[in-house]
Amino acid sequence: MSRRNLELAFLVLAGAVSTMAYVSVYAGRFREINSVSIVYGLVFVGIFLLLHVLMRVLLPQADPFLLPITALLAAIGLTEIFRIRPSLALTQGQWLLVGAGLFILTVLLVRDHMKLDRYRYLIGAVGLALLVVTIVLGTTINGAKLWIQAFGFSIQPSEFAKLAIVIFLAGYLDDKKVLLSVPTRHVLGVPLPAAKYFGPLLVMWIFSLAMLVFMKDFGMALLFMSIFVALMYMATARIVYVVAGFGLFAAAAAIAVAVVPHVQDRFSVWLDPWPYAATTGYQLLQSLFTLADGGIVGAGFGRGFLLYTNRQPVVPDLQTDFIFTAIANEMGLIGAAGVILVYLLFVWRGFRIAVYAPDGFSKLLAAGLATAFALQTFIIIGGVTRLIPLTGITLPFVSYGGSSITANLMLVALLLMVSNRSNIIRGGSDLERRRLAERG
Amino acid sequence: MNRAMTKVFIIATVLFVALIVNLTWIMVVRAQWFQERPENKRAIAKEMKIKRGDILGFDGSVMAGSRRRSGYYHRTYPQGTLAPQLLGYDSVRYGRSGVESELNADLTGQSTDLGVQSWVDRLLGRRPKGADVKLTIVPAVQKAAQQALQGQKGAIVALDPTTGALIASASAPSYDPADVEDQWSRLSTDTGAPLLNRPTQGLYAPGSSFKVVTAAVGLGLGKVTPDTEFVDTGTYVVFGGKVTNYGGAVYGPNDFTTALTYSINTTFAKLGNQIGRKRLVAGMQEFGFYETPPLPLPAGEVLPSGRYGKKGLLAPGAFMDPLDVAWAAVGQERLLATPLQMALVAGSVANGGRIMKPYYLEEIVTATGGVVRRAKPEQWLVAMKPQTASELSIMMQRVVNAGTGTAAALEGIQVAGKTGTAEKGDGSNLAWFIAFAPADDPQIAVAVVIEDSQSTGGEVAAPLAAAVIKSALAQPALP
Repeated sequence: MSRRNLELAFLVLAGAVSTMAYVSVYAGRFREINSVSIVYGLVFVGIFLLLHVLMRVLLPQADPFLLPITALLAAIGLTEIFRIRPSLALTQGQWLLVGAGLFILTVLLVRDHMKLDRYRYLIGAVGLALLVVTIVLGTTINGAKLWIQAFGFSIQPSEFAKLAIVIFLAGYLDDKKVLLSVPTRHVLGVPLPAAKYFGPLLVMWIFSLAMLVFMKDFGMALLFMSIFVALMYMATARIVYVVAGFGLFAAAAAIAVAVVPHVQDRFSVWLDPWPYAATTGYQLLQSLFTLADGGIVGAGFGRGFLLYTNRQPVVPDLQTDFIFTAIANEMGLIGAAGVILVYLLFVWRGFRIAVYAPDGFSKLLAAGLATAFALQTFIIIGGVTRLIPLTGITLPFVSYGGSSITANLMLVALLLMVSNRSNIIRGGSDLERRRLAERG
Repeated sequence: MNRAMTKVFIIATVLFVALIVNLTWIMVVRAQWFQERPENKRAIAKEMKIKRGDILGFDGSVMAGSRRRSGYYHRTYPQGTLAPQLLGYDSVRYGRSGVESELNADLTGQSTDLGVQSWVDRLLGRRPKGADVKLTIVPAVQKAAQQALQGQKGAIVALDPTTGALIASASAPSYDPADVEDQWSRLSTDTGAPLLNRPTQGLYAPGSSFKVVTAAVGLGLGKVTPDTEFVDTGTYVVFGGKVTNYGGAVYGPNDFTTALTYSINTTFAKLGNQIGRKRLVAGMQEFGFYETPPLPLPAGEVLPSGRYGKKGLLAPGAFMDPLDVAWAAVGQERLLATPLQMALVAGSVANGGRIMKPYYLEEIVTATGGVVRRAKPEQWLVAMKPQTASELSIMMQRVVNAGTGTAAALEGIQVAGKTGTAEKGDGSNLAWFIAFAPADDPQIAVAVVIEDSQSTGGEVAAPLAAAVIKSALAQPALP
């Protein structure tokens, strides 16, 4: 079966699963749900069929798993948001439409991701600018300064900055990897490269520290630092960057815990939430109670106890940061583990694309995007389950939030472009090769 | 580059596996533990989907009903708020108290007592239906008691001395349990403590109402008879201190019956020292002091009576000098008692010396109409011999007929009682009256306490006791 036919089959499968989830919610809560919502369900199906057709035309040899996984996760997210607050699902559906538009634009405008390498300093500057703008102009929501209010929307620029930084680092590190991996001197027996190549690491560290202190958000800082460290390691295969990077980050985190009250609260709640059960620890404890209530199989979509009598969710921010808690409650451990495995499948495809890519830039780009995606998923799921301190970060494709879903659809578009290119180079038809060459 | 990427992917896989392991820990291994944490109110909220059983009065009328609103059941109080401190509140945010908490398993139909029926329901996936709970509280008498307390601070307890069944349990100031969620911050900080169930949680100096206990111990030990002669000079000097009468009165020669009738402190103080510390405390224990009365309510909602220090209830063997004993014998010193305890004291005299276990649950009726539990009166303690009880009964009738308690007298009903006026340091009094009636065939025992009063138990509390007794004896049926 060709890659695109395989993709269509998976999309149909994802569609079937999503339909069941939707029907379950509808059957459980039909008294409160308007049947117009079926129309929106059809719009959802239409969006992904459109993307599939686009893939057939422009990215014929791209990975067949990523789009169906995206559809499945987005459907689960929309269904759960719909179940928590139907009106928000309509907004989220519109964001999905915008995201699909950006996906198409990315594919049409960029055509070949190798072009991005030429503009890496510009893209990197845009990424940093987005972060600086957030720090300067941002508004604080739930204690973290991650949003910008513009045109009546709350935009979270860090989601887009994440993509820009990965593109920049992939290009920069691919260029400098030899210089960075050759030790020029030894300190205490540890081989170290020349100090000037440590420069970017220090810049990144200072940036993470600035994010911690000014954005008051541990999650985004950890995400950026980890992306950077992982890319440094993958570019140079030198473990010293990992040790140094996380050592520096630990120091930054310690400073932030001491200086920023919001980070401090999150940290002490993580260590022991019980003394703060009525205050700062309320949200996390309610999340744990809601998880514990899910059991092995859960009550089923639309049947869990997620809303109080006044329709307020049992965990504040249930539809955004805590959407995983809601899913785990209704689908039980089996469903929750299933969702995590679906994320892992996505991450695996991402790294597979990286491994099979023919050039360093493509490799680092795909691996960087996959790492960013994996870490973001881990940080938020780990946060709501108290494995790591809780931070306000979104669950890709599932959480309610426009910036998150649009940025992550662009991430998928980039991965698919890398995959398409390497598959054609490794074994595409002559026609496909010629078209690829024309794009460059 | 590929090897490093594989390693990063393996790390990502390990992190994701850690997520699943941690989830298994929370959702399966520790799930029960999380469900049972007191901070976890999910169980309460889920139970609001169950049609909660009604709380019925002894006459079968609904005191607390249940009405469905947007998928959840909420409590309604068709007769207004009756005994809210005893019945308790039922709130998602603040949990439950009182009967709502104690009988929750029955009210939500989850009790194993409810038997096969609810297992069948469970197999068929039906939601359990709560069982109705019928109390011994008689709504008409309860209303009379609450009416009597209107605008004051205090408590009234009425019980059947022969069975221990609570007939009325009123506490003022009061609150509306339907408003608990909206009013919580005000209710929980109000200095009048409207949430406090004064009948079982209010600790008050019993004052002269305690003389019934001292008299029972003295008579039982043969230290006095109703006719024993004393001489009162207005002051009893003992151990470097003195005991005086209320209002500085001087009574001269008096017999023991007269001493109770007019509540002469010096006589009882002398008797206290004739009895001695150990035997006085032992006598108190026979009345249930130093023990939590076995009224089934959540922990902390029923308090023991006895001598209290800074850190709570003192041990029965705690030291007392003769001046302490003298003041304790007249119900002062460090003595504190709940209205329930004092109603049991009055009830013991009415019931030939025997104290029945207090209870409020008449029966539990399942949603299908079967009775699963019915009250079975049980004896708790023997406070005195029947002979002593009948002597004391006559003395207490004198209090109402000719002494400090004449305000409790009722036409056609012989009331027996004892007044108490405990002086607080701030110039206000605690006004007490404990009583039972009819004296020859007791059906009700009452304890009334009024806080922050400017007058005596005989003036303030006795008429309220009379009103409650009158209301109770007019009922077609009492528990």
